[in-house]
Amino acid sequence: MPPAERLVVVGASLAGVTLVDTVRRHGFTGRLTLIGAEPRAAYNRPALSKGVLAGTDALSDIALPSLSCEVDEIVGVAATALDPVRREIVLADGDRIGYDKLAVTTGARARRLSDLGAADPGVRETTFRDVDDARDLARRLGPGSEVVIVGAGILGMELASGCVRLGASVTLVDRQPPLRAQLGPLLADLLWAAAARHGVRFAHSPGGVRLRASDSGTPVVELADGRRFEGDIVLSAVGCVPEVEWLRSAGLAVDGGIAVDTRCRFTSDIVAAGDVAAFPTPLGPRRTPLWTNAFEQARTAAAALLEGESAPALVPSRTFWTEQFGMTVRVCGPLPMPGEPTVVAGTSSDGEVGDEGLLLRWPGHPGTAAAVNRRVPITRLRALTQPAPIT
Amino acid sequence: MKLTIDRDRCEGYGLCAEAAPHLMHLDDQGELVLDQVEVPDSSAVNAEEAVRVCPVAALKAR
Repeated sequence: MPPAERLVVVGASLAGVTLVDTVRRHGFTGRLTLIGAEPRAAYNRPALSKGVLAGTDALSDIALPSLSCEVDEIVGVAATALDPVRREIVLADGDRIGYDKLAVTTGARARRLSDLGAADPGVRETTFRDVDDARDLARRLGPGSEVVIVGAGILGMELASGCVRLGASVTLVDRQPPLRAQLGPLLADLLWAAAARHGVRFAHSPGGVRLRASDSGTPVVELADGRRFEGDIVLSAVGCVPEVEWLRSAGLAVDGGIAVDTRCRFTSDIVAAGDVAAFPTPLGPRRTPLWTNAFEQARTAAAALLEGESAPALVPSRTFWTEQFGMTVRVCGPLPMPGEPTVVAGTSSDGEVGDEGLLLRWPGHPGTAAAVNRRVPITRLRALTQPAPIT
Repeated sequence: MKLTIDRDRCEGYGLCAEAAPHLMHLDDQGELVLDQVEVPDSSAVNAEEAVRVCPVAALKAR
């Protein structure tokens, strides 16, 4: 990229700040602007369902390091439109910011049941995505609170874990048993058993869930089979949707995320990274909203902006982890895998894992390894999944 | 710049050591070891990157 160019990065969370830092570090000397919709500097999102919800973390405990490079930061103002002809970004306050190259790192927002047509009109739906959501939930939660969580995926399970730790009584409701689709039966059942030991109740119905309006203002969760669940707090944890609405007016095809190439390029002038980006997979472009993807894609996009075709293509590390109900699971490689894993180290019986934890491999699928309650560094887990060097 | 580890938070993910291998490493038990606590200015950006990628906000630079 010629040094005099203007690079604008829209979205100031992990992917955005990593991208800014990386282009500067690799010699970009042009004008650099970072635009963030949240009225605060970037912070660590995984901590929200843990320390922030528990009330033990202040924002300062989880803030990402402030950028020490030269960058114009516009904080607390969302981008509302893109004018690709004039090469300008339109901000919520009416300002226009000109660019030569654009990086989209706007992330995702919580999906709502109402987005899926599964809520009565006007229902007040509560989701969990940013620090305000975490503080709001922490304020409302207390010993004896009855919490109903719709969505027994990773976020739903971690929220359930945080809620029971604070003395709440939790019911998790979903179309299917928890985590099956994400982790496969063995890992899912271990976490399910751990949650059950902590008193979490589960209900599922293949026909799905609907949020019904109620007089109290807090919605009631109704399963397709007619069962109804009421709580002091009803949370929707049903995934996320990419923040792309601001790009639609530009006529860009961004449904399902911004489909980038393996160097995180969308067009010759636009890159995308993090939760907003849909990366090439054998099944087509897919968003994988994971922590490691945010910074791996940001580094890749930064290199692509500077070096174009000669920048290295990204091979995603496919790293994932969760902590819930006293269990930690770390995975490298694709999941779920067909078939049952082999326990390479450690023991488990009746849903309880021994003191050594577990190390799991899937026969015939050397690209995946998982550790349960074992302090295996991600890098070592990843090394297990790499093909042996040809000698 | 000075690096500190909050041992209660650190889970030994090791993403920091991957980002700044000349500043820190994980020992055989998966415990993070800082090889340089006082970070020279020439390595400040590496230290910041290591802090940024920590998924549990256990590593801090001041």
